[in-house]
Amino acid sequence: MKKKVVVIPCSGIGKAFGEMGRQAVYEVIDDLRPGDVTTTCLARLMVDDPETKALIMRNFVFTVDGCAKDCARKNVEFAGKKIDGALRVIEILKENRALKPQGILELGEDGLKLVHILAQKLNNEIDGLMRKEP
Amino acid sequence: MLQELKQVKVGIIPCNGEDLCEGTLTRFACRKVLDTLRPHETVTICLPLFIAGDAGERNFAKTFPTITVDGCAKRCSQVTTEKLSGKPRYAVVVSELLKESGIEIPPSKRTLTEKDQTAIDRVAEDIAVKVDEILGKG
Amino acid sequence: MSGDFLEVTFDKFVFRAKIGYFYHSEECWAAQEGDLVRIGVSDFLQRIVGDLVFLKLPETGDQIRGGGYAGTMETIKTTIDLVCPVGGRIAEVNSGLIDNPQPINSDPYGEGWLFKVVPSEWEVDKKNLWDAQAYFPKMEAKIKNEMTKK
Repeated sequence: MKKKVVVIPCSGIGKAFGEMGRQAVYEVIDDLRPGDVTTTCLARLMVDDPETKALIMRNFVFTVDGCAKDCARKNVEFAGKKIDGALRVIEILKENRALKPQGILELGEDGLKLVHILAQKLNNEIDGLMRKEP
Repeated sequence: MLQELKQVKVGIIPCNGEDLCEGTLTRFACRKVLDTLRPHETVTICLPLFIAGDAGERNFAKTFPTITVDGCAKRCSQVTTEKLSGKPRYAVVVSELLKESGIEIPPSKRTLTEKDQTAIDRVAEDIAVKVDEILGKG
Repeated sequence: MSGDFLEVTFDKFVFRAKIGYFYHSEECWAAQEGDLVRIGVSDFLQRIVGDLVFLKLPETGDQIRGGGYAGTMETIKTTIDLVCPVGGRIAEVNSGLIDNPQPINSDPYGEGWLFKVVPSEWEVDKKNLWDAQAYFPKMEAKIKNEMTKK
């Protein structure tokens, strides 16, 4: 069976980066590549949910962290899986200086533009990953 | 020299579950409590940061009372908090609360609209009442 | 808790002031290293402004006056001007921070140092700064003020 890519955002609640990562993941799954990308609840890894564990172990895993704390990456690695790729939302802000999110959950127009840019970048990274799949 | 500017606050720990709309609801409800309903009485604990080992998040949850807010019966936030810091004072499960209240679960995990505000408000109100009970203001 | 720092906890955040450093009211610090003075921003400042996204620093060779403009820090919340607490000539810049300012947030008193100065009047400028013990209660007052603003 062909591998999928499980994309896991950190969903941090203290900064706008968490919501931006989350929304970008949904854009990729719903709009850009509904067939070969999925997500799962990061917190399920901590309760040793067998379905979630099996999902990440048998597929590619890509994390989208808000900042350098890299919580999603660390959480996945704690669960015993080495990630196949990672992005940090803060890097997108560095590349798009004129755009700033408005609030932590209500991102505003500029924040949504950043989400779209991040989703495109994530899509490109996943392209690269899927090319490795025979 | 370590000092503490002590004021008892309640830590709210949403599960943030990415895979279901109840997870998205936990985020909006918790931020509503933090930003609007009980801004001086609550702190939000970022669950992924908490799991990753951040000392600030873990020490707060060990020292002060917490309320976990889970989307579903897997209770990831509650189980994790118990494992890493201690039993929360209250554990809210959004799917159960909305069922009890006769409120429909929002259809989308990606966006919550104005129509979903009733669900957000119900969960936020429940959390706020529990905050008041913990702080002896209920 | 470390013997190198004065610390205070507010909510889930620990704020620190490094003992042996000198502090300016604009939340920058100065630490003597032989003939040079190393400059950075305080833990309080990095916490309040949030994750650094952009940074502008002075260049090696620049002359700078005590209390004068020394660059800019930008986060998603705000843009602030950096102040140099001592006058002199810029001897060295921590230029790696331009592409990766993250150490300013994670280690403001160590790897997040901004630049070093050959001071023109260190002993005079130092009198206008606070040591950690004098700075600490001022930091606490700012923390209370900032954290109760909602």
